[in-house]
Amino acid sequence: MILDFEAVTKRFGALLAVDALSLSFRPGIITSVIGPNGAGKSTLINMCAGSYKVTSGRILLDGVELQGLKKHQIARQGVARTYQNIRLFDGMTVLQNLEVCLFPELFGKTLVEVLVPGASRAMKEKRIARCMAVLEHFGLEGHAGEFAADLSYGNQKLLEIARATILRPRVLMLDEPAAGLNHGETDRLKQTLRALARPDLIMIVVEHDMSLVMSLSDHIFVLHQGRLLFEGSPAAVQSNLAVQEAYLGSPGEIDDLREAARNRSNRVRIRAHTDIERRRPDAA
Amino acid sequence: MTGFLVQQLVNALTIGAIYALIALGYTMVYGVLRLINFAHSEMFMVGGHVAFFLLAATASLAGGALGVLVVFAIFVVTFIAVGLLGVGIEATAYRPLRRSSRLAPMLSALGVAIILQNVVMLFVSRRPLPFPAFVPAVSFDVFGAIVTLNQIFIVVFAVALMLGLAWFVNATTLGIRIRAVSENMQTARLLGINVNRPISLIFFIGPGLGAIAGILYSGYYGIVVFSMGFIVGLKAFIAAILGGIGSIPGAMLGGFALGLLETFGAGLLPKLTHGFIGSEYRDIFAFSVLVVVLIFRPAGFLGETVTEEGMVYKRDF
Amino acid sequence: MTSETGATTPFLPAAKSRAGRLRAVAIVAIALALLLYGVPGLPTYYVRVIDMVLIYVLLGVGLNMVVGYAGLLDLGYVAFYAIGAYTYAILASGQFDIHLPFSLLLVVGGGLAGLAGVLLGIPVLRLRGDYLAIVTLGFGEIVRLFMNNLGWMTNGPQGISRIDEPHLFGMGLNSPRDFFFLLLPFVVAALTIAWRLECSILGLGWAAIREDQDAARGIGIDTTVAKLLAFGLSATFGGVAGVIFAALQRFVDPVSFSFWESLTIVLIIVIGGLGNLVGIVVGAAVLIVVPELLREYSEYRMLLYGCALVLIILLRPRGLIERRYNPAWLMRTLGWR
Repeated sequence: MILDFEAVTKRFGALLAVDALSLSFRPGIITSVIGPNGAGKSTLINMCAGSYKVTSGRILLDGVELQGLKKHQIARQGVARTYQNIRLFDGMTVLQNLEVCLFPELFGKTLVEVLVPGASRAMKEKRIARCMAVLEHFGLEGHAGEFAADLSYGNQKLLEIARATILRPRVLMLDEPAAGLNHGETDRLKQTLRALARPDLIMIVVEHDMSLVMSLSDHIFVLHQGRLLFEGSPAAVQSNLAVQEAYLGSPGEIDDLREAARNRSNRVRIRAHTDIERRRPDAA
Repeated sequence: MTGFLVQQLVNALTIGAIYALIALGYTMVYGVLRLINFAHSEMFMVGGHVAFFLLAATASLAGGALGVLVVFAIFVVTFIAVGLLGVGIEATAYRPLRRSSRLAPMLSALGVAIILQNVVMLFVSRRPLPFPAFVPAVSFDVFGAIVTLNQIFIVVFAVALMLGLAWFVNATTLGIRIRAVSENMQTARLLGINVNRPISLIFFIGPGLGAIAGILYSGYYGIVVFSMGFIVGLKAFIAAILGGIGSIPGAMLGGFALGLLETFGAGLLPKLTHGFIGSEYRDIFAFSVLVVVLIFRPAGFLGETVTEEGMVYKRDF
Repeated sequence: MTSETGATTPFLPAAKSRAGRLRAVAIVAIALALLLYGVPGLPTYYVRVIDMVLIYVLLGVGLNMVVGYAGLLDLGYVAFYAIGAYTYAILASGQFDIHLPFSLLLVVGGGLAGLAGVLLGIPVLRLRGDYLAIVTLGFGEIVRLFMNNLGWMTNGPQGISRIDEPHLFGMGLNSPRDFFFLLLPFVVAALTIAWRLECSILGLGWAAIREDQDAARGIGIDTTVAKLLAFGLSATFGGVAGVIFAALQRFVDPVSFSFWESLTIVLIIVIGGLGNLVGIVVGAAVLIVVPELLREYSEYRMLLYGCALVLIILLRPRGLIERRYNPAWLMRTLGWR
């Protein structure tokens, strides 16, 4: 099973966000997509998930074309994603947020659920049990009855991931899962993500947090201006001078910046390459 | 035939101008608050009534140059009075609900509309009141059609007001602030703009223009009645959608467009179907326009098409 | 229980333990028994009022599916009521001298209304919520205009009178008392179905659509189908209510199906708290009984409605009847801490 992007292009009017990109994502490993802002990373996810229409090219999951399908059809193909700016159902509880993700699987039985005496309660209890198990797995079971809007930011991110995984998707795409998390939360995230890896799951992480990317990924794609700049293992990416200088800065610079930031506030995360980019306009 | 067509054209422009004035109020409010202000149709009706009483009070001054001044003064006073009413309604019935669901402000607006209509019905008059003609009954023969001074006045006056509004939102700071708040309220706030002021201003101008439209309408048809806001308001809203809701030039364009569609459509239907479908289906015509627009081009003529990126990160849908 | 944003969660089964469930069933059974025993003894006028309350409960439950559950503001709901009523009126009267049986027409009327709901929904449901309100309002008006103008079919403004007396199981229903015995099971069935829908996965799907339609699509919910279902089901309820109404009145005319009716029904579910079934019953009772009590002031009825609507929305955007059961309580009962 492979997720293929074949010469995928995305144009927003005059802006070329993704330029004839061809990538393959394999199951069983964690693949990261990195690059400066505007490189096309989130666009990739949005195209795959059906939020954006592909301007040209194909996206194939196990030979099935995704690019023409509607959003919910793609989801039912087993493609799940999380959002950069969390999109939980605020007015629903944590439990319900999870429960509703079972819709594609259980919708067909609605008629039974409504008309057959006794079925309503039985089916509901089964659903709740299933969801509580998942919540326990993510450490959120204590918050089951709370509204999703009342959770802490870190827990909200975990809930997003829980929702994405409850139906055992074939493709899991995470859009900047570490954004806004502090040190401890990022570690917890790393462990959670590692534990999610399965031989039959294609996991794609779009991230800016370099330390997370390097320690988590098995394979990295580096994008720049909508094209693939480099790909390889974390070690290969880090040691590739071109990539390093242009987008990561030297390790020393990054550590200096991190130290300074930690002294100011615990929660500030350096977007390493963004800062570097601003200091070195010629590198753009 | 020419005479018939010119006649229809003139009629269309006249009613179109009125629709346009009302549509402006809908579009400005929707652009800023994403709220369909159901109460706006009643601003139109209240304006007609206010002017009715002012005209009655100053009937002795009618005629001549003084009369003209008095009429314009009445326009100004009505504008201000209804404008203030609009501001008051916003402050009491809409502002507290700004953070609520999409449904709540609409239902509140509905309630306000009902209140206004019934207050006028119960405490002013249940029956239609005869509205005095404040424009001299002069008419001209244009290519076989009869064009009255009233009609010319309505169109010219309405267009002048619209141009004034266009100038205001493009050339003055206050106007530009209004557009900023329309585009993106959060960002406007972050830029230090106190959003309540532009919003209140919108609720002053919009209803004010609606009131003027009410006066023009009542003067044209000779009566004013508590129920006149409902259908005309609905059509004006359709006009706003037709032109692109949220767009001020769109509302103007939509108003005239709807006037044309409705007049020519309803005018020609009896001829085409040999009387099978009569002009009482004129109202259905406007609704049909609405359905067609919303199916094939919801953005209308000049409205913003919600882009794909917008959909992923905004929760508007 | 309300969150910061003022949202509430769907009514979850309150009593999960055996004892609790039995208790709830007992309460409902007793209430029904009281009604069945007490109401028929009341004077005919009162029974008639109660009949109307029950019809409006049906309408409220129907509209609630679209407004309360799926979050779509339908301002032209009366159209489906009218379709149901006129179906019975046309097909069981002297209008065309067709006299189809009541039980058949219940299905036909409900079915036609449901079909109309789906047909209306197809072009209209992809619109933003606010546009939807206007379009549905327009649709309601269009239906009324057609009822008024298609004289050859609907007898125009005079309406259709001398509608057949309905027969069920061989018995004729000709008094308000008879209709009470017909309506009560219908209303109980409607409330049960609505309740179960709300708790079902479809109900959750509707809630998700209400919250964030795009994200709902992202988790695999076919929002078009879900919304069409809401529309169609809700319209069917309206149609059935219409058939019963026509059979009760033995007379229909376009005046009974104006925008104000749609508004009344909206008001019923607003008073009750959008989505709250108990509230709908209370709302219907209030909105039908109070005007009857204040007959001399019927002129002011609309004005009061308007004031009530604004006040309720301002004070409690989620309606007068707050939900008493909260999910945290449910969790504890289920044994999770």
